[in-house]
Amino acid sequence: MAAKLLPIGLLISALACKPPSASEQMDSAVSWVGTAGMAGEAWLRHASPDKYTRQTLELSHKSLIDIGTSLLKSLPAGIDSATVDSALARSSTHIALMAQLVEQKNSPDFRTLLDSLYADERVVKQLADSVEAKEQ
Amino acid sequence: MKKILQITLGIITSVGGFLEIGSVTTAAQAGALFGFQLLWAIALGTICLIFLVEMSGRLAAVSKHTIVDAMRERFGFPFFFFVLIGMVLVAFLVLIAELGGIGFALQILSGLGFPLWALPVSLVVWLMMWKGTFSLIENGASLLGLVTISFAVAAWKLNPDWSSVGASLLPTLPEQDKVKYGYLAVSILGASISPYLMYFYSSGAIEDEWDRSYIAMNRVIAGFGMTLGGVLSICVLIVAAIALRPKGVQVDTFPQAALLMTTALPRWGFYLFAFSMLFACFGAALEISLAIAYFFAQGFNWNWSENLEPSKNARFAFVYTIIILVSAVPLMLHVDPIRVTMLAMALTSATLPLAIVPFLFLMNDPIYLGKYRNGWITNSVVGIVVLISFVLAIISIPLQIFGG
Amino acid sequence: MDLVRDVLDKKLVDREQCDMGRASGLIMQFGEKTQPHITHILIGGPTLWMRIHPALGRASEKLARLWGPKSKEPVRIPWSHVETVGKDIKLDVVAKDTGALDWEIWIARHFIERIPGGGHEEEE
Repeated sequence: MAAKLLPIGLLISALACKPPSASEQMDSAVSWVGTAGMAGEAWLRHASPDKYTRQTLELSHKSLIDIGTSLLKSLPAGIDSATVDSALARSSTHIALMAQLVEQKNSPDFRTLLDSLYADERVVKQLADSVEAKEQ
Repeated sequence: MKKILQITLGIITSVGGFLEIGSVTTAAQAGALFGFQLLWAIALGTICLIFLVEMSGRLAAVSKHTIVDAMRERFGFPFFFFVLIGMVLVAFLVLIAELGGIGFALQILSGLGFPLWALPVSLVVWLMMWKGTFSLIENGASLLGLVTISFAVAAWKLNPDWSSVGASLLPTLPEQDKVKYGYLAVSILGASISPYLMYFYSSGAIEDEWDRSYIAMNRVIAGFGMTLGGVLSICVLIVAAIALRPKGVQVDTFPQAALLMTTALPRWGFYLFAFSMLFACFGAALEISLAIAYFFAQGFNWNWSENLEPSKNARFAFVYTIIILVSAVPLMLHVDPIRVTMLAMALTSATLPLAIVPFLFLMNDPIYLGKYRNGWITNSVVGIVVLISFVLAIISIPLQIFGG
Repeated sequence: MDLVRDVLDKKLVDREQCDMGRASGLIMQFGEKTQPHITHILIGGPTLWMRIHPALGRASEKLARLWGPKSKEPVRIPWSHVETVGKDIKLDVVAKDTGALDWEIWIARHFIERIPGGGHEEEE
């Protein structure tokens, strides 16, 4: 009985340690950029608290940085890592600035940055589609 | 007239009890990732729950036993104890998740992190149990829970393609991410078919002194109440599918979930979500605490009644006091309530046979139910539920590892 | 009477309709010439845990000596006190006098009554 369980146990624990794939990470990046955008829109409409908005933007920023770091190791061949890196870095920088503007309650500059973020969003989405295509 | 009022209150309670952090989180994730495709899972779970809740009420009204009473007597102490351990452990995890849900709602409203809210929240829940009566808890928490109707308003405002919605009542497989899909289906079923609801409902029927004259009313309450609850869950899925999926926003964290209704209800969507979660999770926390305490008290035949002051049912009060306070501890230690929720939902599916199989035996036992035993339709539906839940039990654990 | 179905694990209720636990075990007497018959109902305690496993029964005995109402013997109700056996077993006793509520009273005194709003066990 124990002899049968051991290889199954090892298999399960090996699979449990399976890291997310590059396309899963890119989907997550798209998710966080989208989250920052939606949170930003709600704040501009005065429909959500400052603290929540700032904390969510900071969470998006941090998540994008983490994804950027771990992605560099797992990108499939044919995807330029510098392009991905700069797209994620640009998004996360914009988001970090947006978080600061929330604290300063500076809506006009926030609006400008939010529009830049939408442009970033399109780029990140395109990259995510490319990564997914290359992985298949 | 009195019966109409009772039916209304019963339905409100059922609606309020259905939505909680498990059903909202799983429905929102499902909508964000798979659009309308997982709607069938909510529908199936709801249908099963209707039958199970109706059975719980009927058992109490006819035999004057709660499910736990009857289970101890019919199956003896060792089996009862085995089920106790399983049910209480899973319910305890769900309780932690619900307290976390309240904490998260307060976090997004105030900016203060949920670990700071954990102890105050559990103290408030405990105080309601300590000082409140059964009607106060049942009706008060449920009336507050009506704010969750905002999910339906949001879904309606987003103008979904209703024919697509209808088509999604039939199961289909996705082209990608089949593992994640399966895991979410399991979690949705676990979120809908919560055993603690059955135990709570049958105890409530005894607290409210139901008899055979309540059998028809029981059917109405179970049917309408759970249906409305299921519809609200479906609305959460629809809103996530339309508002979040096109943007690629996934619901991995509570702050992301908070954005759910900001598209449909631009001015108030955020706050309606926060208060919906606050009240829904609060009601659920009360129900689960009671369900766990009832399990012990009924199984061992201690005094138990939420209408008595604590010293008159000391062991019952002791149990709920301990579990409520202990469940705050993981949250204070920053354990993520969303993780706990997903784990609890999958474990619920895995342990469903433990709850349902003995229950099914009881519902066919002439000693308890006489001529009010289950008919073949009820037995078939529940039998299929048991089969599905057993299969899910085998699949859900490795899926938890792949997809979690 | 089917002992397992009708007596074991049934609710026990006293003269004043007070819940006093469940029949966790039975003591029977076997005589050479007489039919085996029940002499006592056992309530709670190590008897209950023994039904899962003897080791648990012994552990429960040890724990009961260290903590809680340190009752010396398991609670035994003579069969002569049984009035009726139906949905539950009605006994012609007062629960508090039998020792069946020892744990309830102990927990009430040591925990519940010390918390504000807990009330008092003895109040009527």
